Amino acid sequence: MAYAADSSAISPAAYANWGQRVGAYLIDYLPIFVLELIAIIFHNPIVFLLFALASLAWWIYNRCIQAGNTGQSLGKKTLHLRLLSEKTGEPIGAGMAFARDICHILDSLACYIGWLFPLWDAKRQTFADKIVGTVVVPE
Amino acid sequence: MVVLRRGYSVPEHVSMFAVGAASLGAVYPAVLAHTGWPGLPCPLRTLTGVPCPFCGMTTATVALSHGEWGSAVAANPLVYLAALLVACTLPVLVARTVGLAGGPRPWPEAKRHQVRLAMAVVVALSWLFQLHRFGFI
Repeated sequence: MAYAADSSAISPAAYANWGQRVGAYLIDYLPIFVLELIAIIFHNPIVFLLFALASLAWWIYNRCIQAGNTGQSLGKKTLHLRLLSEKTGEPIGAGMAFARDICHILDSLACYIGWLFPLWDAKRQTFADKIVGTVVVPE
Repeated sequence: MVVLRRGYSVPEHVSMFAVGAASLGAVYPAVLAHTGWPGLPCPLRTLTGVPCPFCGMTTATVALSHGEWGSAVAANPLVYLAALLVACTLPVLVARTVGLAGGPRPWPEAKRHQVRLAMAVVVALSWLFQLHRFGFI
């Protein structure tokens, strides 16, 4: 199913809402938060470096490879959401998922307002979603 | 498969977020004092020194949730617009949640365009306010 042709033809309810997206995001970053917390508790630079590398590996696997190739990171899978191209309705691939996460920097630029876009946007897209042409939909 | 669910309107979504933000605003100073965390800075202002239209919203939300009306408007008057939105949409939101009102009906495109235009003007005015507040104009 393609999502680009006519935004008025698809109800905003066809897209994941802001709360669901925040929930998925928090689940995605929970392992990294736990790892960093443990590293802080150990207070050892070697442990910190190892855990930072583990966090990076988790981010690449979960947010780029899994979300890009299947449309579902751990968070999206848990909350039954899927990241798709708004043009093709298919998963966007690891490269574009990586680019999307980099574009999330722009969501943060003006007091993080880009992260709130799904509250009022017709397709419930963040600013990063608009740049890379993605939508998040419930399964 | 896309599942269509009964949703809430855009003002209701924004209101729900605003209520959540106000609730956090009530405990935010205590969290900062307890943890020593400086709070979330605006990346644009941190990187360039230039404020964005939404700078001061955290301060304004915290002030409003503590009844400091003057401090709230001095930080960002947009917070009063958000409070007005909450006051107007909360009864509808409650009625919809308990099933007394049906699902929201989409506005005509012309009306949506007018609202988008009005919001663009409000954001532009807010930016001018922040630029003045930080001594740029």
